[in-house]
Amino acid sequence: MGLVYVLLASGMNLIIAISGILFLAYGQFYMLGAYILWGLMVLLKVPYFIALCVATIVPAILGGVIYRLIFQRIQSMGRQFLNGIVAAIGLMLLLGQAALLAFGTSSRGVGSVFIGMLEVGGVRITFEKVVLIMLAVVVILGLHFILQKTQVGRAMRAVSFNPDVAALQGVNSNRTYLGAMVVGCGVAGFAGGAMAPVFAISPSMGGTITLLILLVVMLGGIGSMPGAILAGLVLGLTLSFGQYFIGTGLVQILLFAVIGCIVFFRPGGLLGQPTEELPV
Amino acid sequence: MGNLRKNYLSNRVNRRSGKVVGLGILALILILMPVLVPNTYYIHLLIMVGINSVLAMTFILLLRMGLITVATAAFWGIGAYTSTLLVVRLDLSFWLALPASTIITGIIAFITGFPLVRKGGISFVIETLAFAFIIALVFGTFDVFGGYTGIYNIPTPEPIRLPFLAPIEFISKTPYYYLMLFLVSLVAVVLSAFYAAWTGRAWRAIGLSPRLAESLGVNLFRYRLLAFVVTAAAAGLMGSFFAHYYGSIVPGTFGPFKSLYAQVYAILGGVGFAILGPIIGSLIMTIVPEVLRIAKEFEPVFTGLLVILLVMFLPDGLLGLSRRRPQPPAKSMARMASWIRGFLTDHSRSDQQ
Amino acid sequence: MSTILEVKKLGKRFGGLAAISELDLSVVDSEILGLIGPNGAGKTTFFDVISGFLPPSSGRVIFDGRDVTGSKAHQIAQLGIGRIFQASTLFMKISVLDNVLTGHHMSYKTRIWKRLLRTPSAFQEEELLRQRAMEILEFMGLASLKDELAANLPHGHQRILGVCMALATNPKLLLLDEPVTGMNVSEIQTMIELIRQIRDRGVTIVLVEHDMKAVMNLCDRIAVLNYGRKIAEGLPDEIRGNKEVVEAYLGKGK
Repeated sequence: MGLVYVLLASGMNLIIAISGILFLAYGQFYMLGAYILWGLMVLLKVPYFIALCVATIVPAILGGVIYRLIFQRIQSMGRQFLNGIVAAIGLMLLLGQAALLAFGTSSRGVGSVFIGMLEVGGVRITFEKVVLIMLAVVVILGLHFILQKTQVGRAMRAVSFNPDVAALQGVNSNRTYLGAMVVGCGVAGFAGGAMAPVFAISPSMGGTITLLILLVVMLGGIGSMPGAILAGLVLGLTLSFGQYFIGTGLVQILLFAVIGCIVFFRPGGLLGQPTEELPV
Repeated sequence: MGNLRKNYLSNRVNRRSGKVVGLGILALILILMPVLVPNTYYIHLLIMVGINSVLAMTFILLLRMGLITVATAAFWGIGAYTSTLLVVRLDLSFWLALPASTIITGIIAFITGFPLVRKGGISFVIETLAFAFIIALVFGTFDVFGGYTGIYNIPTPEPIRLPFLAPIEFISKTPYYYLMLFLVSLVAVVLSAFYAAWTGRAWRAIGLSPRLAESLGVNLFRYRLLAFVVTAAAAGLMGSFFAHYYGSIVPGTFGPFKSLYAQVYAILGGVGFAILGPIIGSLIMTIVPEVLRIAKEFEPVFTGLLVILLVMFLPDGLLGLSRRRPQPPAKSMARMASWIRGFLTDHSRSDQQ
Repeated sequence: MSTILEVKKLGKRFGGLAAISELDLSVVDSEILGLIGPNGAGKTTFFDVISGFLPPSSGRVIFDGRDVTGSKAHQIAQLGIGRIFQASTLFMKISVLDNVLTGHHMSYKTRIWKRLLRTPSAFQEEELLRQRAMEILEFMGLASLKDELAANLPHGHQRILGVCMALATNPKLLLLDEPVTGMNVSEIQTMIELIRQIRDRGVTIVLVEHDMKAVMNLCDRIAVLNYGRKIAEGLPDEIRGNKEVVEAYLGKGK
């Protein structure tokens, strides 16, 4: 589960760092991906990998459309930061409720795709989770690759540091934001699709996880991919193990308290750069 | 010295007479509302609008200084739980618990504010978020707060006994409504006083340019902490009211989501308007879902849609309209056209800087 | 002649880089001291340390007889050091008058509850400060623009507004960071004249500037920094002929 956090944090990080929109509806794309996978596999008996691809692509496209439709306009008018938040919240409501209507309120499972267990160093993990981990790692590496090596990725990084300078170099900021949104939502969809066979899914999983991911992103430092990875892992592992030993509620409290302290001492997050005031 | 005073007063009187008349009419309507609209459900809505307005006002005050909180609802919850515990466990009268929980919330804000406020900017947001999570979890985890099921059967306020009149019992919604009016007005007046006074000027300075404000002798920390405590106390006040009005409280109500909604109320109303904006914003966000109830399960979909549309077309919020001059239809059409064009191509409006 | 500001062995490091080191400087009461040096010599860092925005890594700062090393910016402002910033740092979204009025922050003495209750004495004080703000605006020649938004002012006027706000704090020492940069010839003349008048009112001035003519014209004494160290100090004529100074400027590129 920690890796799911990592994936989501990376995607969210991407969107926030590059386009500056605090995209609170992000979790819904995650949920969407999960349900697409479920729908395809359970209802239509589509093979796993194809379903996974669809689960990645559909949210990506949806994200792109939504960006064009909504956020592009907001970016060009005053008070982008605040209005973006409100739009994202509205979107979150919208998508969340739509999902609720479409899928009903109960949670579902998809059922294991791969049967069998693996024994690693005395700990038994289902094959499922191994696949999940592998896929997640692939995606993360892929993201890293895109950002570091490709033209598009370079453009994204340029824009996240300084949109004006980037514009001088011929980077179209709108297209870049669009790209960030598409990729980010795609990652979310992928994460949802990948985890669906392993964990239960429900329409409300989008909302609850979004704020958590936001915290992770901020912990790792906005704009820092390694930071997001680290923070996601830390969070995931602590939650899982902590739950085992201390009990759900308390561990969460402690965790957040610790996060608060960490942020206090390192305002930029674990690995990010300290930022000044917010663009209000 | 007399001249100075006359000068200043005459300026203020002129500006105020228009406002006073407007406010007077509004006040009259508000006071007569239960008579005009005897439907208790609407009264309930108005009460919620009142509560939400205060939360939104809180957000705007801190926003003006360059601080974004997600902890609004957390302090609201602290006020609610404190008041409940005071009345239920310690048998305090509501009328004592109300100010007491406000003060206690303020104290808690003072203590937590110390580390939080030191650094502004992004870390503040994160920390308030963490704080919001923690508080909600604390309420849910420890049994003294009733756990996840919360506390119910919270006693209603004791009747007010005024001389010569029958005691005012808090049975129907109406007395609550008037109490809410009183509390909201109180908060509005206090906040306005702060804004109009030098404190407000200092806050604005901090919001516009903290560096410059510092070089002019403004103690950033002190003013930020002050704002933090004041807003927390206001939220706590409404929390106490809410607990005894609603009769039951659950931890879920006081989480970060509610704080986000408070932000929405404030932003929709218009962040340029510290008092009126939140009121309008929460009015819309409370009334609209009700109106849309005919769509039954689709209601949040439409509400979300409306929110998105509002924010897309009204960047300064609803009240921002009063600041813009009405545009000739041709220009509005041009804007719509450029929006559609923007959907299909890469470029949005040409005057994007 | 008394020393109003004394800096002893001041040092400021950022990580491994020393922006200032071993700096000894004295500023005499009511003088205009110029601080020059190639870009990156540490002049603005020096200002930041003196005015409390950065704590020094070593050394002491003594202002008006008091050791103020490490004090925070707002405390330093309260003690009587005012400054303007290199970039036009103003309250852009409010009017010129409001800007200067805000500058009077420290003069506002009425207790907070009286302010909140809007007592007559609060009114009076506000009116008094308003008049003082107008006086400053008139002195600096911006009175006619008092209701204009700060953001709408031309660059030259914005710099002057910055000085107005610093004056509003009733400083004993004024730190001017590149006051005439970006101005045309007539604006520079105006500013020079204004600076002289400010000094005549008893304010000591330390000036960082790249415009050599202005510096030579205006300053009683000049100190030269290079790579964070003081390499020369003295009267303008002495500095003009100082070989080391010339080399420092030439050596840094064209």
